[in-house]
Amino acid sequence: MRFLNWLAAYGPSYLSGLGWTALIALWASLGAIVWGCVLLLIRLSGRRWANLAVEIYVQLFRNTPVLLSIYLIYFGFPLIGVVWPAVICGGLALVLQNGAYISEILRGGVKAIDLVQFDAAKSLGLSGWGTFRKVVLPQVLVYSLPSLGNQVILLVKDTSLLSAISVAELTMNAKLLTEQTGAAYEAFVVVAALYLLLVVVLELAARSALRAVRWRPRHDAL
Amino acid sequence: MVRRVIARVLVVILVAVFLHLAATAALTREKSRLETVLQRGKLIVATFSTAPPFCYTDDKGQLVGFDIDVARLLGKALFKDPNKVEFVVVTAEGRWPAIESGRADMGIATTTIYPDRAVRVAFTRPYVDSGVSVLVKKGSGIKSLADLNQEKYAIANLNNPQQADRSKRFIPRTKTLTFDTPAAQALAVRSGRAQGAQLDTPVADWYAATSKDEFEVIPELMGYSQNNAIFLKHGDFTWWHWLDTAVGEMRSGSYYGEYSEIYQKWFGKNPPPQKFYLR
Repeated sequence: MRFLNWLAAYGPSYLSGLGWTALIALWASLGAIVWGCVLLLIRLSGRRWANLAVEIYVQLFRNTPVLLSIYLIYFGFPLIGVVWPAVICGGLALVLQNGAYISEILRGGVKAIDLVQFDAAKSLGLSGWGTFRKVVLPQVLVYSLPSLGNQVILLVKDTSLLSAISVAELTMNAKLLTEQTGAAYEAFVVVAALYLLLVVVLELAARSALRAVRWRPRHDAL
Repeated sequence: MVRRVIARVLVVILVAVFLHLAATAALTREKSRLETVLQRGKLIVATFSTAPPFCYTDDKGQLVGFDIDVARLLGKALFKDPNKVEFVVVTAEGRWPAIESGRADMGIATTTIYPDRAVRVAFTRPYVDSGVSVLVKKGSGIKSLADLNQEKYAIANLNNPQQADRSKRFIPRTKTLTFDTPAAQALAVRSGRAQGAQLDTPVADWYAATSKDEFEVIPELMGYSQNNAIFLKHGDFTWWHWLDTAVGEMRSGSYYGEYSEIYQKWFGKNPPPQKFYLR
């Protein structure tokens, strides 16, 4: 009963935090997927230095905590004169980190493409970029859809770290409410439920995407 | 006939036993935290780790500071051993759950007494005077709160409502950024994210003194002198009373000597005199 009273009084204040979290998660995941594809393209270009460069980048971001990148961009960049708003800094750190992970996921998917297809593409006269765009990318994205969905869910949870750089998202909301009302458990239980809600929505979207790409016309229709 | 009598006697006996148990249950004292602590053999204290000179980690990773030494003095009073104290490090909003859940026996973490806070936790009498100052970067040209009160500037606050209210009251035009540790606030000023940080006066003074000409403190206090105190869970009179007695003796009684040593060590000057009529 006390919980419901508290919820009625302070529930609506979560909406702005939820909005920010959803917005940041959306743009950061789109950015991360695009950045992951770019990294994959660089890797597939075949030049040794390109492969090495991407490998170093991926190792760097896989083996360091994302909070470190967030702090570096938010607190460190101003020292060299680059001052971006907190949301941009946090979003950028998330894109750089998750882009590294996504490029690895996609790289696994590329291995599933039969080598014959690359020969066929070359015989058709497709350039490297054309092969990537028309042969590799569609298949790779479809093969990696479950893992990509997983990574996006991880990204949604990572947005909670942006509360450390003063972004007014869900976790910051919970912290402020705890300080204000002393109801630590109520505040954080509601936040956990809201994150769960976001993830469930994402998972439903991922499942419908999977169903969409598995769609085939009936074999007797053609 | 006989069975009915026996039955009635048994009922009477049962009712008597039940009443006795109920009465003794009402009279039984709930065990005080003081007894728990004494039985455990060590004191568990909630504190911060990034609020110099009160409670912070030094280069060797040890938790040190004025608050830490005061807590050790309490450990010495309880167990004759200042090392029988265990520290639980929390962030600003984690102070209260640490006390309410019983994870820590008490908290000492540059916590200012406010009446609305006192609704949720119990405070002892203050162990040190405080106030709120603003830390700025040297050479920024900001010399007063009026200078800071401009839309192009930002102030780094801690995530409690008192700081938010205060900045709204004194510097309403300044943008606010909210962090959860004093170290993050100072870092925001150092990196230029914010032009001022709202800190407890001793913390701001410490940053200015140890930063090699990077920081300075606006001479104007934001508000008036305030009190920092030990906080603990409501409802335990014996525990509160022991802690309050200990703090009282530190500030003006039998532990004034030890308190003065700690005060000298961290603030470089003598504490306020024991009583106004002595020297």
